[in-house]
Amino acid sequence: MGLVARVIEAAGIATVCVVGLREIAEQVRPPRAVHLKWPFGHPLGEPGNRAQQLSVIHYALAALYTVEEPGTILDPDWRWRRETYAEPSSWVMP
Amino acid sequence: MKQDRLRQQIGRAFGRLLTRLPILARSWGRRFDALTSDDVPFTRLRKPLHACRIALITTGGVHLRTQQPFDMGDSRGDPSFRAIPADTPAEQLTITHDYYDHRDAERDLNILFPLALGRELVARGALGSLGTGYSFMGHIEPPHVETLLRRTAPEVARRLRQEQIDAVLLTPA
Repeated sequence: MGLVARVIEAAGIATVCVVGLREIAEQVRPPRAVHLKWPFGHPLGEPGNRAQQLSVIHYALAALYTVEEPGTILDPDWRWRRETYAEPSSWVMP
Repeated sequence: MKQDRLRQQIGRAFGRLLTRLPILARSWGRRFDALTSDDVPFTRLRKPLHACRIALITTGGVHLRTQQPFDMGDSRGDPSFRAIPADTPAEQLTITHDYYDHRDAERDLNILFPLALGRELVARGALGSLGTGYSFMGHIEPPHVETLLRRTAPEVARRLRQEQIDAVLLTPA
């Protein structure tokens, strides 16, 4: 996935990757990554958990504006469960 | 041929195991022989989000039921992609990817390929618009990595430019 992101970014389009394995992102180095240590197949969270899914999407889209250093990997440190998510209140970016 | 089938079965069982055991996944990730890079391409996003045309890309093996499934017969992966129109209802999509457990994603595709949430964000004015989405399958090994890098990923990049996409959100399996 990181390789695809790099090709797209090189073509002049900004990308952000949600990644589950930091170790691979550190090697492949996608332009911007959000690392969540969650089970495979669940990059945006659990089925039916809208607030969780929207929180990740919001965080990832915000990274498109906040990341200054190419290859940055952000760690929101959100736990897989036992985390209370609220739907993001504002989507105004930047 | 027989050996390839065995590789596939091992890969499949291992993929399921990785889904269940994050610690194992992490140790696999540390040893994974990914293509390493020193330089990083970078494009700044200059438009506000509400004016952006966004595309979703996943490597989770999603495709339209009417499209050819990804080739699971080749244990080194399938470097092709599927284009998925932004207005595709979730019922018309399925997942072909033997190396992870996608039962939850099939119940609620928003956890992997959030087309429905994306459309909702467009409807409420958070995003400008949603472009055609693209899906690959992960788990691509040589010699197919070369095809991905030289042919299929650049083709997707070309289509994204043609559709005037401003930014892309990528999600893995």
